Amino acid sequence: MGEGSEPAVEDGDASRLRADGRIRRHAVTTVRGGFFRATVVLTALFLYCPVLVVGYLSLAPASQPSIPLEGATLRWYGAVLTDGRFVRGLVTSTAIGAVAAVVGTALGLLAARTIVRGRLPAWFRAGVALVVAIPLFVPTVVVALGIGVAAGRVGLGFGLGPVVAGHLYWVLPFSTFLVASRYATLDDRVAEAARDLGADGATVFRTVTLPRLWPALVASVLFCFALSFNEFLLTFFLAGSGVTTMPLEIYGKVRIGATSFLNAASVLVLLLSGAVAAAAASLEPPT
Amino acid sequence: MSGETDRRWIPLPVDRDRRRALADAALAALPALLATALGVVPLLVLLVESVSPPVTLSNYADLGGSVYPAVMFRSLGIGVVVTLVCLAIAYPVTYWLAHRCPARYRLPVLVSFTLPLWLNYVVLNYTWVWILASEGVVNTVLTGLGVVDRPLDLLRTASGVGVGALELPGLSLGLGFVHIYLPYVLLTMYVSMERLDYRQVEAARDLGAGSLRVFLDVVVPETYAGAVAGALIVYARIAGAYATPQILAAPSEQMIAQIITTQFYDVLDYPFAAALSVAFLAVVLVGFGVGALSTDVRAELKRW
Repeated sequence: MGEGSEPAVEDGDASRLRADGRIRRHAVTTVRGGFFRATVVLTALFLYCPVLVVGYLSLAPASQPSIPLEGATLRWYGAVLTDGRFVRGLVTSTAIGAVAAVVGTALGLLAARTIVRGRLPAWFRAGVALVVAIPLFVPTVVVALGIGVAAGRVGLGFGLGPVVAGHLYWVLPFSTFLVASRYATLDDRVAEAARDLGADGATVFRTVTLPRLWPALVASVLFCFALSFNEFLLTFFLAGSGVTTMPLEIYGKVRIGATSFLNAASVLVLLLSGAVAAAAASLEPPT
Repeated sequence: MSGETDRRWIPLPVDRDRRRALADAALAALPALLATALGVVPLLVLLVESVSPPVTLSNYADLGGSVYPAVMFRSLGIGVVVTLVCLAIAYPVTYWLAHRCPARYRLPVLVSFTLPLWLNYVVLNYTWVWILASEGVVNTVLTGLGVVDRPLDLLRTASGVGVGALELPGLSLGLGFVHIYLPYVLLTMYVSMERLDYRQVEAARDLGAGSLRVFLDVVVPETYAGAVAGALIVYARIAGAYATPQILAAPSEQMIAQIITTQFYDVLDYPFAAALSVAFLAVVLVGFGVGALSTDVRAELKRW
């Protein structure tokens, strides 16, 4: 600003005001920035502190850790990996998770195709979307009780079959909407062009549509695996006495207070699902 | 008319369209049948079950008795309180992340905040047992420093603080819930916060608005849809949670899923468990109905 030509008093006031404002704004920004940074740091601590604590306690020599630890040992990790029930639960969970991930994503792909591209009446496509989305807005305990009671009434009973079916249904909305959002961005004219050039439906799907859906499908497989691997309540209602999964096994151990064993088991489980999450994060940014 | 009879290639595409529609219907059948068999049918079974034997409303009449209204109300109340706490944390955190955080740290920080989404909630709940137990981390530090003489009762203690019938969750229950559900709210809020045009904030500041004014008049109106969507995603899950109250709640803080499970597993009273579930579902859906009235919120929920 051309300050020199203006009356001295006014100029002094104006510049003092400006300077004041600048100082005040700078101070406020710093305080505010400090507040925001503090919330971010505290939130990160809040989310990760429990994990660090359990990691630390898992090294305890005794079965009931005393804080601070007297020495450190990996013996509980050995105990976890040689515990038949726990390993069986882990294997069962991994197997169910793999089925839920692959079959759930395939079903999700079909549902997404129906919703986004299906040559079917709009009410039908909306109906499919609604039915698939039920687990998103109906509390899990209600879904679980419903499937449990219905399975009992039609004589299916409990066990591995109902658990796998329940998990497939549980992951279906996530795979469907993950794939559908990607499907919706595809340019339909490329597929049409392939058709006009004589490709049949299956060929178009395999050579044109599938490659471009690939990232969403991989993300869906990983996400469905994590969802199924960690699902507790649904399994709790449907497993009966013959099936044990990792979350059920851990829940049982929490009830009887097997602490050091549980700490080591928790760390192993967290590492495993963390690895899946990291794989997913490196593929597809969450935004 | 005469023109159409000349163009004999017309019937072919129509036929092809019909074949494609049939194929589409066949492909749609698989997920649609699974979803109907495991979603619609069980809910109908519950509905029928809740008015049996043969046809009676006595199961619903029983809901009014004993502890059930209190448990239902407590569950929803805890759902609302925990959701509000999550939002109160998510607002400043996502604001910093979307508008203050240097771009190259943004994705790593966001991913690290959403990582717990992938972890097992039974395990995550359990981690709090060791922090808050009487010989746990917090009490060891506090007694070690001489802040307290004897360990505090932090684990499975009811808060005893309430506003009217709305009782606040106890410390361990509240922490356990926020720990699991905060990442969901953070992710939803972040998507919404990222679309907030930061120039509006700057304009408001230049016009002399203080932090509170900016927050209430610019940030909240621009992001409320994301906040409501985040709230809708978590509140029903919190109210209907089973494992968290089993592991972290005081005996007096029983929640609805625990009662439904007891009726199913121990009492084997399916009709009453069904009536409880249907009533709970009805109350939860009212919340969704109210929230989804807003088109902004619907658009936000579509992302999920």
